[in-house]
Amino acid sequence: MGNIMGNGVSNGLNLYLHPEITPDPLKEPKNNPLEGFDKLRKERTVKATKAEMESAKIPLQNRDYCVDELLRFKACRKDVWPFAVQCEHEKHAYLNCQYEDYVIRMKEYERERRLMERSAALNAAA
Amino acid sequence: MSLVNTSRKFAQICATKNPILFTAIRNHWNKDFKPAAFPKTQEERNAAAEKYGLISSEYKPYANDGTGMGDYPELPLTSGDSRDPHYPWDNPELKRNFNEPLHADFEMYGEDRYDVMFKHRTPVYKQFFQFTGVMLGIFIVYGVCENFKMFPGLIPKQYPLQGKKHYTFEVEE
Repeated sequence: MGNIMGNGVSNGLNLYLHPEITPDPLKEPKNNPLEGFDKLRKERTVKATKAEMESAKIPLQNRDYCVDELLRFKACRKDVWPFAVQCEHEKHAYLNCQYEDYVIRMKEYERERRLMERSAALNAAA
Repeated sequence: MSLVNTSRKFAQICATKNPILFTAIRNHWNKDFKPAAFPKTQEERNAAAEKYGLISSEYKPYANDGTGMGDYPELPLTSGDSRDPHYPWDNPELKRNFNEPLHADFEMYGEDRYDVMFKHRTPVYKQFFQFTGVMLGIFIVYGVCENFKMFPGLIPKQYPLQGKKHYTFEVEE
């Protein structure tokens, strides 16, 4: 809730008043994703191939980094139908994955915002 | 021929004994409601006033301009909605008294139709300013807030298999 009720409003104001230190939520981050890390970051991957997603008729907007969990969930439903409630663990895993994905996006936004603030401060000092 | 005579006598007896059965059929046809020609002399005016149940000084026919009103009187326009609901009307459904002359466009001004004497609670010019004030106010608030749209602090959703590398916040060992 805090991401909307508190920060949402100030995000909107900051994007208008201080666009140099506020990332646009509709644009990809511009900074190097590896900047500031001593070691390599782990890459996000999916095991499913495009052919598998097409075969399972996964909608385009669902072909994200949680598509493996989604495929497992849908396969389970198909196996045990009509007792779909038996797939509660698969569904939980899928929703947890979506939550983690959301958290990663929030962290990326905050990282981008701090890097923008840092470069603005460096520019002001120079 | 005798059958015709018998029928006529029978009909006459019926008409005398039960006039209500026959008056309803023989009177109040469309031609009976049709107004007569425009009255030209004072005698004709007096006759027409009496026919419509008005006193001669109150009787004023419609202008003879081809609208076909004939000698029908031009009555003051009062809508059903504006008539006193507490007056003991002979016909409360129509708020009308017995033998009271009806306006030529009576069916237009019933309680379920247009009320010519309707009084606005606020004058129309005020209503105009109220409307424009509310609409303009909303539009201005909308236009100003258009620049400050709130949003959750998120980067766009990341999708795999599109030639871009995305990272978690864990590091490789």
